[in-house]
Amino acid sequence: MSFLAPLFLAGLVALTVPILIHLTHRERTQPIPFPSLMFLRQVPFKTTRRQRIRHWLLFLLRAAAIILLVAAFARPLLNRADVGAGAAGNAREVVLLLDRSFSMGYGDRWTRATDAARRMVGGLGPDDRMTIVTFGQGAEAITQTTGDRAVLRAALDAVRPDAGATRFAPAFQLARDLLDQSALPRHDAILITDFQRSGWDGGADLRLPNGTSLAHVDVSDLAASNRAVSHVMLDRSPDGGGRVIITARVANLGSDAVTGLEVALAIEGQVLQTRRTDVAANATSLVRFDALALPPRAARGRVRIAPDQLTADDQYHFLVRPIPRIGVLVIEHPSATADETLFLRRALEIGRDPIFDLVTRRTSRLAAADLTDIAVVVVNDAAFPGGAAGQALADFVSRGGGLFVVRGPRGGALPAAWTDSVGGTIGTPIDRFDDRGGTLSIADYAHPVFQPFRLPRSGDFSAARFFRYRRFAAAPGTAVLARLDDGAVVLAEARYGNGRVMQLATGLDNQWNDLPLQPIFLPYVHQTVRYLARFVEPPAWYTAGQVAELGTIGAAPGVEWVVETPSGHRSATVVDSTGEHLTLRETGFYEVRQLDDARAPPLSIAVNPDATESDITPLDRDALLAAAAPRETAPSLSVAESAGLTTVERERRQGLWWYLLLVGFVILGVETVLANRAKGPR
Amino acid sequence: MNGTRFLDPTVLARIDNLELLARTVVDGFINGLHRSPYFGLSTDFAEHRPYAPGDDIRRIDWRVFGRTDRFYVKEFEADTNANFSVLFDISRSMSYGSGGISKLDYGRYLAACLCYLSRRQRDRVGIVTFDHDVRDYVPTSAKHLELVLHTIDRIVPGTRGEFTRPLTTVAESVRRRSMLLLISDLYGDPEMIARALARLRDRGHDVIVFHVLDPAELTFPFEEASQFEDMETGERIPVVPENQRAKYQALMREHLADIETRLVRSRVDYARIETTKPLDVALFAYLSRRESLARVK
Repeated sequence: MSFLAPLFLAGLVALTVPILIHLTHRERTQPIPFPSLMFLRQVPFKTTRRQRIRHWLLFLLRAAAIILLVAAFARPLLNRADVGAGAAGNAREVVLLLDRSFSMGYGDRWTRATDAARRMVGGLGPDDRMTIVTFGQGAEAITQTTGDRAVLRAALDAVRPDAGATRFAPAFQLARDLLDQSALPRHDAILITDFQRSGWDGGADLRLPNGTSLAHVDVSDLAASNRAVSHVMLDRSPDGGGRVIITARVANLGSDAVTGLEVALAIEGQVLQTRRTDVAANATSLVRFDALALPPRAARGRVRIAPDQLTADDQYHFLVRPIPRIGVLVIEHPSATADETLFLRRALEIGRDPIFDLVTRRTSRLAAADLTDIAVVVVNDAAFPGGAAGQALADFVSRGGGLFVVRGPRGGALPAAWTDSVGGTIGTPIDRFDDRGGTLSIADYAHPVFQPFRLPRSGDFSAARFFRYRRFAAAPGTAVLARLDDGAVVLAEARYGNGRVMQLATGLDNQWNDLPLQPIFLPYVHQTVRYLARFVEPPAWYTAGQVAELGTIGAAPGVEWVVETPSGHRSATVVDSTGEHLTLRETGFYEVRQLDDARAPPLSIAVNPDATESDITPLDRDALLAAAAPRETAPSLSVAESAGLTTVERERRQGLWWYLLLVGFVILGVETVLANRAKGPR
Repeated sequence: MNGTRFLDPTVLARIDNLELLARTVVDGFINGLHRSPYFGLSTDFAEHRPYAPGDDIRRIDWRVFGRTDRFYVKEFEADTNANFSVLFDISRSMSYGSGGISKLDYGRYLAACLCYLSRRQRDRVGIVTFDHDVRDYVPTSAKHLELVLHTIDRIVPGTRGEFTRPLTTVAESVRRRSMLLLISDLYGDPEMIARALARLRDRGHDVIVFHVLDPAELTFPFEEASQFEDMETGERIPVVPENQRAKYQALMREHLADIETRLVRSRVDYARIETTKPLDVALFAYLSRRESLARVK
């Protein structure tokens, strides 16, 4: 037994009042009328000071009433956890929503949150059941609904805050589902969070089922501030053998300005440069480092500042990779002039990221070895090579290489065996000199080649004039990507083996059309080559919560790989044809090694926290609770901060004060009746 | 509804109309007296006796003559035509009541019921109210029931009480032989009270005394030490009930015994009635006395 407000016990001093009343002989001030004093006058009058309690029953009733009233105000509670928490027939289904987002790592928030959660587990009644749901970017029930406190405590011991952002909606959705499935009579939801503003934009439906009691534990801090490296920009340049300029954005998410903040750049663990910067309150500052030489292979980089209470966002991880290169082989007609490939060559030579390594060969001089390190082959208005070179080229495409066939004035040609499946039928040229040429009227902007140009003012193909082009009947299974204004197919794509084959029914010089003279020509050629080469550069970093496909970072399929998380946890995986996806929950560097080849250089994945999580400003708590509160029950139950939570909650559930008060008033009523009787007639 | 409920003084206190109250009580009371010897006193047949010269020949029972060829005269319970007068002590002390009703109210109900009952028996009824002197005097008459009830209804407590002077006045005023019923709390010198009543008895009146007392006057149940104030004189004395209760009770018992002894010795019928008791106690006491007086052949 303990008391919530023990100071009220001082009211027991009032017990002296009935004692004094019952010991003291007090004379009435009002005289009592009596028919005749003829007998009383004959009785000698004498007073004696009373030293003994009169009317023991009345005295005990009055003392008991005072004790009960004082005890009721002191708010007693029984220390047994199972008292009042849930009696049989009144069992609760409790869903504990524990915020494990990145911001919960601020200061001692996580410790307070888990302590509060453990107290909630301790407050469960014998018939209560609880499900622990952790949430961040998503929500996950880490336990089944159970009344086994050991299971619940073990689950709490195992959980740690991750690097994800806060999203309240999935958590409440999961809570809703869990409570809907419960057959217990009482439904409680307990939210333990720092109420981060980024977690709810006011739009998502958080409403809990009717009859649910919502309590919350707020572990946010009144005056919280945070500094973070919120972003890093890598500006690569092939100049000087390849350089990179790294610029970091430092954010000050507090109400006090920061001066002289040291920002350090480290590559492969070695600090190369440091800068000092001033950041105003609630502002950001850009820190630009000197240019660095690009490493020959991917190198791990960090930009970090001095740690504060939220350490995970005080450094930003990234990978510095050399500028990627795409090998492009242009096959010309044996009699081709230099002008025929002038525009194509110039366009590819301008490529800086990636860099296009251009090789030109005439059909007659083509060898199979020319396909080494080549990703895309452009057959520029020439016949498909024959012989071993042709076979090598066919094999190249079949293995996944890209082939771009330009069917201009010479018509070009594809192997006869490809005609029905890839090549289609190429016809005679159509002359449009008389009507100022045709224009591109239909383009498949959903296709990756045209996708960058789909938005307004992002490229205008309609300015190009096509004066002459070939009539092209695409083979079945061929995707038409562009048509001219007369409906003629001008660009089509087909698959050969694993490779992509794209055919253009006009030339790439400026004889049959003026496309090479249009501003869109350069990005179009680059995009086409990237697409045909299946070029995807892995990102320099991921955001926590994202999913990385191991194939995109260079993990070859069919090989067993070992993934080591930043915290050191390892798991083996095999990348199959569908790819292997890895959910990135931790910040730092993931390392992916080939299991059977220890000498192979490891692959790395840099992961940073969601930048929105660095802003630890709390949202309007009442608004969120009001949005989550069920329509047909009492509004959100306010639970005190974790320190007094269990006591307050248990006292409220036990409600002993109410019974004490009731009994006290009943006793006072009995005392009134008895006192009136004992007082006698006036 | 049980008729005897109306004999409870606290229940009667809710009835404003005194005549209605008296009728309710008396009718209910009489209905409860199954085969009562008191019922139909004045007109019922009593016996036959042989005719004697001088008897009114209208009283000869000709049916008996037809059967026996002898003259018999029918005798009936005669109309009493008795005088019944209530002597009502309305001194200030009578207004005391510790619980339900005061002695004055109890006496008021009692007087009303007895007058009504007497009138049902063809008695002439009257009333005298007094404290230290006569306040109201209604002579006995067969037509005075309503006046008597009206007088009872407007009784207000008087001042100090006395017996010698008002009873002497009554003795001088009531010349016909009457049944006098005194309702009083009899606070006074028992000898003086007995002497005053004996004077009435000596003049041929039948005197019945109803000594009306509140239970608190007998038990003195007070707890807190207080100033007690005499209702008639206004005198105040300090009293510690716990210390003085036993002595008070002893003095009260002595007083009551003294009064009863003296009144019985003076051939005055005496009955002590507490205000918590039902009215039938008083009614029975009255009728018992009335029976012995009313059988006039």
